[in-house]
Amino acid sequence: MLSDYFSNAKKKSPIAPKPVEQMPHTLAGLSFKEWRDSRKKNHKMRNIRWAVLLFMNLLFVFSFWLDLAILEGSLSGSRLIGFYLMDPYNSLQLLAISSTTGYLGMLTMNFWIGLFTILIFWLIFGGRSYCSWMCPYHFLAEWAEKVHNYLVKKKKIKERSYHIGLRFVFLVGFLLLALLTKNLVFENLNVVGIISKAMIYGPSLLLLWVLAIILFEVFVSRRFWCRYVCPIGATWSLVGKASPLAVKFEHDKCGYCLECQKVCLVPHELWFVKRGAATQDVHYVGSDCTRCGLCVDVCPGNALTYSVRGASSLL
Amino acid sequence: MDKEKKNLNRREFFKGGIAAAGTLAVVGTATFILDKSAAKSMPREDFLRPPGAISEEDFLYGCIKCGLCVQICPVHAIELAGAGEGLGFGTPYIAPRIQACDFSCDALQCVETCPTAVLDFRPFKEEGVRAVEKAAAEPGADLSTVNPFEVQKVAMKEAVRMGKAHVNRNTCLAHKGEGFKGNPRGTDFKGVHRSPGKNEVSASPLKDRVFDREVCDLCITECPIGEKAIIQRRSRSGRKLIPHVLDGCTGCGVCQMVCPTAQPSIVVEPF
Repeated sequence: MLSDYFSNAKKKSPIAPKPVEQMPHTLAGLSFKEWRDSRKKNHKMRNIRWAVLLFMNLLFVFSFWLDLAILEGSLSGSRLIGFYLMDPYNSLQLLAISSTTGYLGMLTMNFWIGLFTILIFWLIFGGRSYCSWMCPYHFLAEWAEKVHNYLVKKKKIKERSYHIGLRFVFLVGFLLLALLTKNLVFENLNVVGIISKAMIYGPSLLLLWVLAIILFEVFVSRRFWCRYVCPIGATWSLVGKASPLAVKFEHDKCGYCLECQKVCLVPHELWFVKRGAATQDVHYVGSDCTRCGLCVDVCPGNALTYSVRGASSLL
Repeated sequence: MDKEKKNLNRREFFKGGIAAAGTLAVVGTATFILDKSAAKSMPREDFLRPPGAISEEDFLYGCIKCGLCVQICPVHAIELAGAGEGLGFGTPYIAPRIQACDFSCDALQCVETCPTAVLDFRPFKEEGVRAVEKAAAEPGADLSTVNPFEVQKVAMKEAVRMGKAHVNRNTCLAHKGEGFKGNPRGTDFKGVHRSPGKNEVSASPLKDRVFDREVCDLCITECPIGEKAIIQRRSRSGRKLIPHVLDGCTGCGVCQMVCPTAQPSIVVEPF
């Protein structure tokens, strides 16, 4: 229903948790532990996603190296078979500066077409899907995350987390910096752009910056850049507010095991999986969700699935 | 309980927010300082902006560093700046001594492909249209006899102003009255160019070419613009034939690339 598309389900009062005879492990005739660990080794969605991510990034590289001219440019701005695509946060900074300098009118039609095309594309596929399905930094960070989680488990380091809203401080802050210094300040620190360009045009010294961020994520705070800093991800999460493609949660299949929250990059978006937290029989994961599918892979009851919001009411 | 949690949450946000604002302030100050020093260092003779580049000040924020111009250039003359260039990191440049822009794309493709118009195509387009109109208006000519593409192509490349070449009289072979025989840049030089005299469709390696000149005039014969940009003329004493750069020079840097002296005796100085 379109009405519950934007409604705040968090504010409603929770529905009653299921009694033990209705729990999925009882229905399956398993002990809770057996049931919970039944899909631990399932990595189907992750493998598909990695394949897509690597394919797209290598397509950039080989389009240049082999002169294929399929996907030219880099993740900052590109051309897919002659059709322009723009990075929205880069464009946002550029628009902010140029609105004060009179440069705005100079921008080409290709720029506007590229910007709107990409906004519409990710609006449909879910803003932050870009992060897990396209971003080369995400791929590296996933490995760093594994090391980090291992170190936490072995009690070598302490887990540190911060407020999730800090991204928006950086989003607005870097925009202001762009305005004040008349420079695309963030682009010089943008690990996504640095990696993308290093792959295509050859490595640069700024890869050391990427390394520093990765080491920080390994030893200090899990997924620090993606969770708390990256204004590109923050922009996408705003774009993804109304995306029809989303991960759907069905309360009747859930066993309250919290395996999904453990693997999730943005666990605050899975607030309804805790026993007694859900307020509706069906929830859709919010706009910070990267649609990475890790929760879909791991959920023993298939309570989390990819779906198209509102499709059932349309069909 | 809920209210307490909310307050804690808010406190956490402010704590992080202050740290974030501090970081942003440091980054901003660093940018400001770098900005001041970068403005002095660019462009230089080994760091020319590609054709049609707008003022350096606007260029630095208008360029989104996507590298589309790099990818489209058939002779790979355009490179992206390294971290050593400070805020210019990732912006495109041409180092003509290594690989000059020889216009062998024929239509300023790097300019046309730029999405943010820091390489601005409009003046070239206008110049092209004007040239076609002028050619068609000449007595005895109309659009059936004039090839508009050819006229447009020539007019557009002649309108490029990346800089202007300057001759160093102390090292120039022609100024010393010397000739040149052999391969100008050695047999392992990687640069390519399309020689105007050979009627080539695309560029070929400079290392494959051997010259034999009584008086060295490579910068004059290899210039893609020709007599509007550089001519050979007699020196004041009348004893030597020397290269003379005219206002039609586009600053493409082919002369700088082909110059056979160890240090180039003809160098493009950006405007």
